[in-house]
Amino acid sequence: MIAVTAAGILGPMMFSEPASTSVARPFAPPLWASGDAPPPLRVTLSGNETETAFEWRWDAPETITLTGDVLFSSPPASSSLELVLPDGGRVTLAGLDGARRRHIDIDGRDLDFRERLGLSPFDDAMKLLFPRNGRYRLVITGDIPPEQVEIELSAPGGAWGFLGTDQRGRDVFHLLLLGVRVSLLVGISATLLASFIGLSAGLTSGYVGGAFDSLVMRLVDLLLSIPVLPILMVIVGIWGRGLWQLVLVLGLFSWMGSARTIRSMVLSLREACYVENLRSIGAPTRYILFRHLLPEALPLLLATVTLGVPGAILAEAGLSFLGLSDPRIISWGRMLHEAHGFGAFTAGAWWLILPPGLGIALICLIFLDIGRALEEKADPRLSAGGRR
Amino acid sequence: MRSYWFRRIAGAAGVLLLVVCVNFFLFRLMPGDAVSSIVDPRFSPEAKAELRNLFGLDQPVCTQFLIYVRRMLTFDFGLSFLSQQPVWGEIKSRLPNTVALLGSAMLLSAALGTWLGVQAARRRGGRLERLVLFSGSVSFSFPSFFVQLVLLLGLAYWLPLFPLRGSVSIPPPTGALAAALDYAWHLALPAASLVMLGFGSWAIYVRNLMVKALGDDYVLAARARGLSERSIVWRHAFRTTLPPIVTIFLLSLPGVLSGAVITETVFSLHGVGKFLLDSILGHDYPAAGAAFYMLALVTVAANLAADAAYRLADPRIRLGRNGGD
Repeated sequence: MIAVTAAGILGPMMFSEPASTSVARPFAPPLWASGDAPPPLRVTLSGNETETAFEWRWDAPETITLTGDVLFSSPPASSSLELVLPDGGRVTLAGLDGARRRHIDIDGRDLDFRERLGLSPFDDAMKLLFPRNGRYRLVITGDIPPEQVEIELSAPGGAWGFLGTDQRGRDVFHLLLLGVRVSLLVGISATLLASFIGLSAGLTSGYVGGAFDSLVMRLVDLLLSIPVLPILMVIVGIWGRGLWQLVLVLGLFSWMGSARTIRSMVLSLREACYVENLRSIGAPTRYILFRHLLPEALPLLLATVTLGVPGAILAEAGLSFLGLSDPRIISWGRMLHEAHGFGAFTAGAWWLILPPGLGIALICLIFLDIGRALEEKADPRLSAGGRR
Repeated sequence: MRSYWFRRIAGAAGVLLLVVCVNFFLFRLMPGDAVSSIVDPRFSPEAKAELRNLFGLDQPVCTQFLIYVRRMLTFDFGLSFLSQQPVWGEIKSRLPNTVALLGSAMLLSAALGTWLGVQAARRRGGRLERLVLFSGSVSFSFPSFFVQLVLLLGLAYWLPLFPLRGSVSIPPPTGALAAALDYAWHLALPAASLVMLGFGSWAIYVRNLMVKALGDDYVLAARARGLSERSIVWRHAFRTTLPPIVTIFLLSLPGVLSGAVITETVFSLHGVGKFLLDSILGHDYPAAGAAFYMLALVTVAANLAADAAYRLADPRIRLGRNGGD
């Protein structure tokens, strides 16, 4: 539990960029499962180099990025930056003539780049640039050699990181760590809200009894009869998808369980001797409730809260999976929603599907474990050994 | 007896009334023109006028509410925004699929869970019991859609054993038997996933009941008399656990219903749950209200049936004050 919380809070600090930036190509597999995906390519020309070479033994990359500056002593009549293919063919990547100082900023998917290569807007320039395995050279040709060169040709690798990337190229591991926060936040706050309502309702209705008690119990029965997920869907779908709205709605529909438990406990405690004594010396109801019954109820309440958190987490994950959560907030349910809706299946991207789900299950199991241990302490009859 | 039923039915009617109120007020309290939640803004002015009349939108709210209640009771849900077809027709075409999914999943998980629970109770402290207790808590923690996504990935994508989506293949096969088999093939993964998720809690619950039942004195007496173990377990102890089992079976319907919404979305089945989701996401308010109402109706019916079944199954309650002892 501590490890998970620490991971959730400290983990994202390890990353230098925000989670939304794309770092590699979409659906890149993790580094340790990448098979024969190409590594990242980074070829530079600096100083006054005019030629450099690199080996390429893989499929063509998704795209290339060519950036840099070239400075000539005087404007060249004809000069260009070319890629020499293994079979000797030459492809002009950028023209450098006519200006003394040239800035290059080309993405392999640019339309004018494809036009310059003589391709239609629908052709893939990469197939033209990387037709086969072999030795490629990046050269600057022309009548005058350049004075100062700072050029970089890069291509993102086929694999990335600890858990790969999603359909937008975002690092899945980073997203996973950010999701911890949302799950814990929503789960705990919704359950706290529900327990607060349930505690008040259970204490008062159990102690006061009579018409108020049957009214509250009627309300509990009513709310229990409504199918939970559909009404959550309707409310969230109509009233908006904010995080706190979700917490509010989840809390409003989960208080019934703790109310019933507290109420039955109060009913049994009400007849205890000390309560009768308190009443006979004139203690007000509120005093009895807060100073005496509440502390008795707390251990059981703690156990109920801890056991209720998995329910809230699962409900939030379910609603996010259906698409009814804030799209700007990264949660594990949302990751699974995007995996389901944006093609993780056809890409075979198991690293998008397994980690969030396993994470949800892990957190739920942790809370169930803690909750059951607390419950055993609070109510010794339930423990498996049953020593009393 | 009669007063009991009167109270139960009044309670059920109360729930339905609450659902209808939620439908009515929620959709009207939305930001923007409340009327556009009923009358599609893209309709022609004549159609709008006609619908205004039909729904009584120019009349006071109370009259509108009564009209709405009457329409709900007669299943007149109006036209869907997205498909321009009567919503009732859409729901009718989807209802059998949802019922098939829910029915098969509930029956299978109850059967499997019950059998496992009984076996676990018979051999206390054994491996099976520990396995049952463990898998019960584990199956509760895994989100249902995750298990289903993993099943899809494993059994429909990597090993193409099952279809990736849909309730029937397109085009559907000819012949009744082939069509039935095809339908079952499409239903197999969704139902299997619901069973996998559900049998755990069943097994734990039945195991607890059976442990208590097998600890009763009459079981000891039966053993002393020499009855076979099998007869003791199934014919005597298990019978006493039937009333709560039947009750819980029917009461588990609302939970399975929520699971069905997710299941239908993951596997793209043609059911009411997915219809609810699609209408909510598509802002198709008549359809969303109608689907929600149908789901609540099913829930209420299940609760009432659970009550009736419980009283029928337990002769002590049935004969109760009038006869027997």
